[in-house]
Amino acid sequence: MRVARGTLLRNLAGSIGVLSTVAGLAFGLPAIDRALPAARPVDSGPYLVGGGVTVTPPPGARLDVTLTRPRDTRGTAVFLVGTVRYVIVVAPFDGSLADATQRLRDKITRGHQITGKESPTRTATGLDGVQGTYAASGRGGRYLVFLAGDVAIEVTVAGSAPALRAALGAIEASTRTIAYRGGTP
Amino acid sequence: MTPVHPTPEWAHPGKSLLLPAFWVVLMLIAGGAVRLGLFVRESFAAYPTATLLALVLFGLYAVPFCVFVAALDYLEREPPLLLATAFAWGGLVATSISIRGNAAVHNLMAKLASPGLAAEWGSALAGPTVEEIAKALGIVAIVLVARAQVNSVLDGVVYGSLVGLGFQVVEDVVYAVNAVAVAGQGDQVAPVVATFLLRGFLAGLWSHTLFGALAGAGIGYLAVRTDRPLLIRVSVAVLAVLGAMGIHFLWNSPLLSLGGGAGIFGDLFVKGIPPLLMILFLVRGVRHREADYYMAQLAALGDRRIATEEELRVLAQGHLRAGARRHAHGRCGVKGRRAVSRLQRAQARLAVELSRASGVNVPGLRINPSVSPGPAVLTDSDVPPADTVVPIDPYASAAAEASGDPVVPVDPFAPAAPATSVGTSDPAISATSAGMPVAAGPPPTAVAVGVARVAAAPVQARVLGGPAAVRWRDRVLVERGRMLALGHPEATAPLTRNGSVRRVVGGIAVFLTAMVTVGLALIALGAS
Repeated sequence: MRVARGTLLRNLAGSIGVLSTVAGLAFGLPAIDRALPAARPVDSGPYLVGGGVTVTPPPGARLDVTLTRPRDTRGTAVFLVGTVRYVIVVAPFDGSLADATQRLRDKITRGHQITGKESPTRTATGLDGVQGTYAASGRGGRYLVFLAGDVAIEVTVAGSAPALRAALGAIEASTRTIAYRGGTP
Repeated sequence: MTPVHPTPEWAHPGKSLLLPAFWVVLMLIAGGAVRLGLFVRESFAAYPTATLLALVLFGLYAVPFCVFVAALDYLEREPPLLLATAFAWGGLVATSISIRGNAAVHNLMAKLASPGLAAEWGSALAGPTVEEIAKALGIVAIVLVARAQVNSVLDGVVYGSLVGLGFQVVEDVVYAVNAVAVAGQGDQVAPVVATFLLRGFLAGLWSHTLFGALAGAGIGYLAVRTDRPLLIRVSVAVLAVLGAMGIHFLWNSPLLSLGGGAGIFGDLFVKGIPPLLMILFLVRGVRHREADYYMAQLAALGDRRIATEEELRVLAQGHLRAGARRHAHGRCGVKGRRAVSRLQRAQARLAVELSRASGVNVPGLRINPSVSPGPAVLTDSDVPPADTVVPIDPYASAAAEASGDPVVPVDPFAPAAPATSVGTSDPAISATSAGMPVAAGPPPTAVAVGVARVAAAPVQARVLGGPAAVRWRDRVLVERGRMLALGHPEATAPLTRNGSVRRVVGGIAVFLTAMVTVGLALIALGAS
């Protein structure tokens, strides 16, 4: 049982072609992706997160375009304020504020620890919500939940303790600008 | 040149081990298996019930697709190991490639254009490009590993659809588990069921299996139709892959989507059903071409005990084969059904073995009298020199009968004419009953298994086949004998045209009703 040399060479060439294409798709494309920066400056005006929710980003914040996805009924915006990640997630929701808060807490507790008590909060446009804090090893975070129309707005802010302390003022100012459909609660 | 290239008798599965492509495919599948294994392990740790349900549901979901593919692949069965390889490529390799490639394309769109564009069109661009290429590579890999097993465009369709099915099943399991994670309600089965109904039931028919079938048809054409110029073959393959990409793009894109709950139906009827019908018609065409080829092999025998004209018509089409089995069941019970099933299988195998005989891929062969002494001689003046064979038209006898030319009269289940040939390999069949006296000596590599009727002159020519063809011919005769004993001599389907239409229309009505019901249920549940 043997294979003709010509067949073997053609098969080798084909195999190299298949392997090269696989490598190009699985490693080449991600390499090109990594070579391009993910963060870009964002305008100082209101930014459309998605689902009719807007926010004015903190001054100097950059947008992580690879994680930001604005859509009609939902959306995600990821801002970078220094090394602090400021994430706003909007998703359809038909429960109460307590339900929405519990859902976010469940997500947080998969890798972090809730610390302290929750307290009510309110945006400049009149959206009522809840805020709390959480922590993991070496990192701290804040979370806020608002209910507006048929969507829930989840906000998480996370970073190392010093960076978080430095950026928190600007981020709190930004969260107060969260608005639903131009300002209607 | 025929549309089918039979697997040569010298082809040996072990030769694949000597090919670099085999080891490349093995390595990639092993890598994909490790990756998927890690995902399943993590999913089991976090959501054991939901993960198990997803695996079971989508595992079962693959069964009807496999049954359909098996029916497509009835006449010339592909090796199960190759079919499993195609499925594994789709489920393990193509998905692993696509997870990385898709994410990169989404990110690149967001970086080079905008996050909004990536959100709106990312899936429409990444899915068709990365996923279709990854799946098409699987079909190419199959051709590289076992070129001799890809005999027709239909084989490309079979391998392509299995690559797509593997991809679809694994992707849906991943989606289902992700849906559980996103729901944030712990180990709940509701997101799995919703994913199954939406992605499996409503969107499943016009998904990766369909795209893979189209791409497979093109690559099969490239591999098989070596009688056509390379440029045309490559163009057809590229067009088929682009067609798969186009349908995938349309399905993933926001184009023609109505949005909201009604959008489910809009997507089904505007973006799903037309490509499904188009590809089914394409598959039907290539299946008929292959079936015609193999039926011609049996027709060339001119032996009604092997297959009657009506049986050839039935054997060529899946629903008629099933109808013949049902009919036999109605007349003779389970024994009748099994006998017909075995007869059909034996007839199909005989057709394939005849096509493989001595690497000659013509429907029937005349043998020069100097090679084949006896009553099966030719009188044509253009007979080629000794030791050569020439093709004949297997349907010529029918045409001759219609035109009044003399043909050999045949009894209902008697061979067209006696022929000298080798004996049967099954002692249950006597050579006399087969009409073929036993020849002495060691078994030859290519022997006559039947007699082809030739229109031009009232003579017969023997039809060559290897020892395997002889075995399957004997098997056919055994099954025929069993059917005769049951009083049900012919494996035919007395389906009227109206009956067939009723079945098809009824099936479509049930299918559409089920889809509308599930769609309405999902709308009521608020799925989007």
